[in-house]
Amino acid sequence: MTKSFLWIVIGLFFPLAIQAQDALIPEDSLGFRDFLILQKEVTGLEYQFLIMGDNIPDSLLRDSVYTFSKTDLGLVSGQFEDFGKLDTLEAPLAQSNVAYQLQYLVFSEISSRATVREYLSTLIENGGHQIKVVEPQSKIDLVALASKSPYSPLQKFKLKFVSDYRLFGVTLTIAFFFLVASTMIAAMLVMKARKNQRENLEKEYESIVIDPLTSLLFEKELHEIEQMDQEEIYLFFPQQMLSKKLFKHVLIESIIGLNKKMKGEFKEKLKALYKKLELDKMSIRSLHHKKWDRVTMGLAQINEMDLVEAMPEVKKFTNSKNFYIRSMAVSTILNLSEKVDLKFLRDQTYPISLWQQMNYLRIIRFVSSQKNIKLEVLFDSENPSIRIFGIKLVRILGRVDLIENLAAFAGSVSDEEKMEILETYASFGAHMEAGFVNECMKSSNQALVLAATKVAMVIGDAESAEILVGLIHSESSFPRKLSLLKSLYGLDKERFDTETTDHPSSEISDIRSHILDPMLQHV
Amino acid sequence: MYSFLFYLILEIFGLIFLVLSFSVIVIYLVLMVLSALEMRDYLRKNRFADYGDIITSPIAPGVSILAPAYNEGQSIVQNAQSLLSLHYGKFEVILINDGSKDDTLEKLIHSFELQKTNYVYHPEIETKPVRGIYRSKNMSYRRLTVIDKENGGKADALNTGINIANLEILACIDVDCILSSESISRMVRPFMEETNQRVIAVGGVIGIANNCDVQDGTVTTYRVPETMLGKFQVIEYFRAFLMGRMAWSRINGLMLISGAFGFFRKDLVRTVGGYFPKTVGEDMELVVRMRRYLDEQKIPHKVAFVPDPLCWTEVPENEDVLARQRNRWMRGTIETLQLHQTVRFNPKYGVLGMLSYPFWSIFEKYAPILEASGILYTLILLMIGDFSAVYFFALLVMMYLLSLLVSSFSVLYEQIAFNHYKDKKDLRKLIWMIITEPFVVHPKIIYWGLMGHIDFIKGKGGWGSMIRTGFKKAEDKKNLAEQSRT
Repeated sequence: MTKSFLWIVIGLFFPLAIQAQDALIPEDSLGFRDFLILQKEVTGLEYQFLIMGDNIPDSLLRDSVYTFSKTDLGLVSGQFEDFGKLDTLEAPLAQSNVAYQLQYLVFSEISSRATVREYLSTLIENGGHQIKVVEPQSKIDLVALASKSPYSPLQKFKLKFVSDYRLFGVTLTIAFFFLVASTMIAAMLVMKARKNQRENLEKEYESIVIDPLTSLLFEKELHEIEQMDQEEIYLFFPQQMLSKKLFKHVLIESIIGLNKKMKGEFKEKLKALYKKLELDKMSIRSLHHKKWDRVTMGLAQINEMDLVEAMPEVKKFTNSKNFYIRSMAVSTILNLSEKVDLKFLRDQTYPISLWQQMNYLRIIRFVSSQKNIKLEVLFDSENPSIRIFGIKLVRILGRVDLIENLAAFAGSVSDEEKMEILETYASFGAHMEAGFVNECMKSSNQALVLAATKVAMVIGDAESAEILVGLIHSESSFPRKLSLLKSLYGLDKERFDTETTDHPSSEISDIRSHILDPMLQHV
Repeated sequence: MYSFLFYLILEIFGLIFLVLSFSVIVIYLVLMVLSALEMRDYLRKNRFADYGDIITSPIAPGVSILAPAYNEGQSIVQNAQSLLSLHYGKFEVILINDGSKDDTLEKLIHSFELQKTNYVYHPEIETKPVRGIYRSKNMSYRRLTVIDKENGGKADALNTGINIANLEILACIDVDCILSSESISRMVRPFMEETNQRVIAVGGVIGIANNCDVQDGTVTTYRVPETMLGKFQVIEYFRAFLMGRMAWSRINGLMLISGAFGFFRKDLVRTVGGYFPKTVGEDMELVVRMRRYLDEQKIPHKVAFVPDPLCWTEVPENEDVLARQRNRWMRGTIETLQLHQTVRFNPKYGVLGMLSYPFWSIFEKYAPILEASGILYTLILLMIGDFSAVYFFALLVMMYLLSLLVSSFSVLYEQIAFNHYKDKKDLRKLIWMIITEPFVVHPKIIYWGLMGHIDFIKGKGGWGSMIRTGFKKAEDKKNLAEQSRT
């Protein structure tokens, strides 16, 4: 990242960067001289000494280091590349009091300081020379330099970790990942371990429970169990086991399991045991649990063990927000209620699903074989799904006695209810309601018309046949035409023949063949 | 300036990959949590469900099972018998012989005493011509209807079945699938439980039957397949069904129901025009179109999912066959997403538009491209010397661990919920597969996915340029189909 930004900075501010380098080369002669001494050698740059006049000691003249030669301007030394030796070479000249001049040479050409400076700038810019800067001599120098100008950091202090956002991001992600992953793994492992432990304990408790239950069920009579006090019953079970919740849970499951399988007096014995062991209190207590599945489980136990005393509590749940609690509460009331008053179902505000209807139907069907159920109560419900369920019940339970009730409100209900009523009339063969069927066949709702025509096949009259023929003539949709002709065939075969035999339309002929095909009769 | 742009692009890509990596981790962790919650709730709800009543209850809806068959002569009779013996009261089996070149039809006629009827086929959904509709003289087979039609592909065959189906729910299955006897009653339950939201479709889990013992239409002994690709698919199916679809079902964002085992409401399927035969991803396309239609009509709806093991199939263990299957799946996904671009980030389509569609676009459709780009990016960094080993290995290890975590969790879900693979050897094999999969199989999956993209661009599958237009409305399907013909 830092590198990239450096590129960006170099790319955008390139001229400024050159200027900044130029500024590093001092303009004054002394500074420039010191700068060159620091650089030591610079490609293409040399220096020499020019001595004006002949007044020069012999020792210097003969010195092989200088190799002076005579020119028009005076004595000129040899050319030197190493500026680092400038001070050493200049010192003997200065001590001998000769007039001398330091000359710079760029590619052996004598050049001015400004020319040399310009050459140096170009060289640095092209990368031909790396600038050497003054290294601080000591801490004292640094402090002295620092004290000259107020401190302002070039870059604010940052941890590399934080300043590198990618590294930071990756580390954060990894940390997050490990945190969540380890939490989830721990949770799953704990869950799995608990489940295994629970399953093992349940198996163990199940084996413990079998013997006492068998003894009580097969060795004791019902009245004996009823007369036994709690402590006597507790003696059948291993000590202190009944204080364990899981053991009681296994006991409940075992008793309910047996109750489902057994019949007659055994069922009574199990119910008596359930109460003597105070498991009924546990079931009722679970109705106050926060978790919906525990409440539903409690309701299921109350239902299975016929805990009639819990009915007032159960009634509170018949309009619960939770689908499962609501369903189980209604099933329990239907099962346990002595009078089988369906008013509580009538007053339900939530729409009932087909699943609920199926479960309620099973119980109502069972109860209706023993008691008379006032299904008509459901027709008064403000909940359309309950009214429809009521109509279905009339049909499924074969309550022909309620046809009059249906007929009384059939004209004023929704089309969906009318379709249910039509189906009910058809299943009862209620020919006296042909008028209603004919009315429905004249409806503007195509679905209702189709339902009515199907019913007309069973309970229609001459007028129905006329309406059907009218509909067939005006119908353009093929599937509906097929359905209408099927109804006509079922209602009046002669009329069907009249309408379809030798018909010019191939469509009608095809439909006729279809309807008359015996292989397609039971589709 | 060029170097500046180059580094800028590299920088942007680096940022994209970082964000993607973070998103992948967050999304998969969220999916894991959601699926765990959904699985927990499902198991709790199941404790109170009594499926015994559905079989005989007059309130339970009727189910039309639609099973297209193409050159299935070897097993068609056994498969049909298996379907006819399902435990349910109100159902019919419609077998569609999609122009088989073998003796599929003859075997059916002979085994089930079939006779050609005068059934007047007048399709509501346009299909290839029907040659004949057969029914049996024998009342034992009164539930069976066989359609013989010209070859038109799976979607076309299913549309033919939809046209003649008589019952409320359509069960669209692959004829070679093994169905549990209680599969219908379990799959019908979500339809029956609907109250405020309309349940429009229900998806089920597909189990892998390779190397398993099957008896009376149910897998009795589970064994992990012997081949590497077989084992990989076991893990992959766990991840897809027990994790992915459970999680999306939790937020009502399911976009795909497997074509091998899906239940749909017939009236709605007919309203939206049935399957779209021009796509190879007809199963996903239908679900998206149904959802889109209902969203446009502002009708609350739900696509449910049943995690019970009810359907098993044999998966391809041959590399060529698997490559073709993955190529087809990728093309199907691209086609569906292209067709329904209007949905993308459109709040009108709720979870579908704001979550499911973008997820499928980025993490399913573009996944192979993104992964391949990641590799290319790393190579470029290596070449220019800007490669950071710390980042690379940190990300690599993190993604590898995520892969391990997701796969392990899906196996753990299976163990907690169903515990089918009881043999510890099988579990060890699965764990070894989880460890090696990212290096051994995953690169191949990426390659096959990329090939799917390339084939899509080439127009393989008969789409051409038409697909890029997208539907303006859900009802436009028929118009588009007509356009594609011209």
